[in-house]
Amino acid sequence: MPFPNVRLSNRPLHFIYLCDCSGSMAAQGKMQALNQAIRQSLPGMAEVAEQNPEARVLVRAVRFADGAAWHLAEPTPVQELQWRDLEAGGITAMGEALSLVAHALQSPPMEDRALPPVLVLISDGQPTDDFDAGLSRLMREPWAQKAVRLAIAMGHDADLEVLQQFIGPEPAGGGKSPRRPLQASNATTLAQYIQWASTAVVGAASMPASRIAQSDENGSNIPLPDLPPTLLDPTDDVGPLVW
Amino acid sequence: MPASTSNGLLPVGSSLSFAGLEQPLQILRALGGGTQGQVYAVASGTEELALKWYLPSCIARDPRLRQRLQQSIRLGPPNGDFLWPMALLEPSEQSRPLIRAQEPGFGYLMPLRPAGYQGAHLHAGGRLEISLQNVLRACFFLADAFHELHLKGLCYKDISLGNLFLRSSDGSILICDNDNVEVDGQSTGASAGSVLGTPGFMAPEVLLGASKPSASSDQFSLAVLLFRLLTRHDPFRGRMELSIRCLDEPARRRLYGEDALFIFDPADPRNRPDPEEHPAALLTWPIYPAALQGLFVQCFGAGLREPPLRPLTGQWKQVLSRCLDQRHTCMHCGEELFHDGPCWSCGQTNPPPLQLQLPHGRVAASAGNQLHRHHFDPHLGETLQQPIASLVSHPSDASILGLRNLSHSSWHGQLRNGQPITVEPGKTCNIAALQQLNTEAGPITTLRG
Repeated sequence: MPFPNVRLSNRPLHFIYLCDCSGSMAAQGKMQALNQAIRQSLPGMAEVAEQNPEARVLVRAVRFADGAAWHLAEPTPVQELQWRDLEAGGITAMGEALSLVAHALQSPPMEDRALPPVLVLISDGQPTDDFDAGLSRLMREPWAQKAVRLAIAMGHDADLEVLQQFIGPEPAGGGKSPRRPLQASNATTLAQYIQWASTAVVGAASMPASRIAQSDENGSNIPLPDLPPTLLDPTDDVGPLVW
Repeated sequence: MPASTSNGLLPVGSSLSFAGLEQPLQILRALGGGTQGQVYAVASGTEELALKWYLPSCIARDPRLRQRLQQSIRLGPPNGDFLWPMALLEPSEQSRPLIRAQEPGFGYLMPLRPAGYQGAHLHAGGRLEISLQNVLRACFFLADAFHELHLKGLCYKDISLGNLFLRSSDGSILICDNDNVEVDGQSTGASAGSVLGTPGFMAPEVLLGASKPSASSDQFSLAVLLFRLLTRHDPFRGRMELSIRCLDEPARRRLYGEDALFIFDPADPRNRPDPEEHPAALLTWPIYPAALQGLFVQCFGAGLREPPLRPLTGQWKQVLSRCLDQRHTCMHCGEELFHDGPCWSCGQTNPPPLQLQLPHGRVAASAGNQLHRHHFDPHLGETLQQPIASLVSHPSDASILGLRNLSHSSWHGQLRNGQPITVEPGKTCNIAALQQLNTEAGPITTLRG
């Protein structure tokens, strides 16, 4: 006889993309690159979700341009998700996007018990609306305070300062850190970062992975995994190349 | 090309030569990757093996990695259930430019996981069809594997669902990620970069930073893993979890460390499973006999704060094998039962099963059960390999139960009516008529209630 078919206990893990769809994203294929990166990351994300029986990974997405709107409004199990392309056009209502997410993180509609949400903000420019109001609206929500907040800067015109404000206090010392904006200057790096956020970070926020003894634990509520190596990308900061 | 292959460390499809290896390895395909490195299927001549290659960041962070691997390779695998390191590999001069990292680093060869083994998380997630008997067999094999590892003076440090593969057809196991293995007690002092364990499986003293991983923290993690396999639930997630809104790192420290309380603690019911939120634990726990439940109570009760009180691997082996010995099926609903109480599934009572009395144990006469050497000789450790006999149903009438001779010598005995009987190797005799059999290992007697 098979092992009894028991109902397992698990908690939802809300994963929300906040995607910049301003007109500048139409340049140099950035919008297409983002759509591709997210679509390519889904099988890996579904695999991580399957390895974590304690988590129900649910994905949503907000698009922001002239205004902000849910692109994928229904929290969708990653295994069932089919990514619909985002389209570029308009300005950068990032503050409104943060307010929209703030509403979604209120309880209700948020469940009483969950895993820390993961918010991934992707932008190539500067907010054109009241970013501060949106951010303070978001950070009033306890679930937003508990969330793992990541930001990906596409290209060199992204406003790193507002992205850092979204993430939280900048870590001490220099170098790359998941608690700084991740700078994706080409499609390959973007895909690596999206894949990292949707697999390694989802894994860390749901069922934790093996823990390594570290001297510099940063006191956050979710230890973040190492960033993916991006040595193939010559524009990335790999330290001095010649000396 | 998806990012997962374009950022691979090793060039799939090419041949790489390594210092000290006679022939180059063909890099066949990427099998997976993590924060430590990437694993590839490789061919050495006609033999397929697995190669784990480390990321430079992992090597930099873990200065003792190379030394641990060399030691494990020298000592050899504790038994066949480990995908154990076979050789440490460093690229030859010609191979260095082909490795996509600033420092070429190193990796190790290990056996390739054969088909048919699936990640244990699939079972924990309810997506593996496996019998209770085979789950218990897997638990026995786990206890046995870590028994052998500890007997070699080693500790594993990171026992968890993520490092275990199961074969649902017979409960056999494979343990991977053996690169944290170290001589027990050596991970004191400066050990930054080495593994502490997986949250949810870590012993409280390791989780709270008071101790380094050791054989006694392994015993705790092993008990958590056994509990997860046997119940599809977590030993510490009961009602106390319901007051935690966001299950993050500080919450886990309380749940598994500072305030840890076993959900079935006999003296303290505050953390009992909630019928709505934790039905799996409530359904599965009564399946198991008191002796097995008792080891969990001991490990997660007194043993929680006092490592010397944790059950030893040998105790798990003994209790798990006796649990398997008493397996029988409910005549009302057909579920597998492991003790005499009412059926855990339908609630009805069953007559006690016919028992086979052996010099060192009793085995319920139920199709699928096996007789082993340790049932005859108290000096032999429990093993499920190479059974002497197995209980089988008659091929055309399942209600007839037989005992098949799996040994290499003939058995002689007598039936209940006094008539003598001989059972040649490979033959099966009807239990219903049997009184006693003499085997090379010792006598088998049927006990009727």
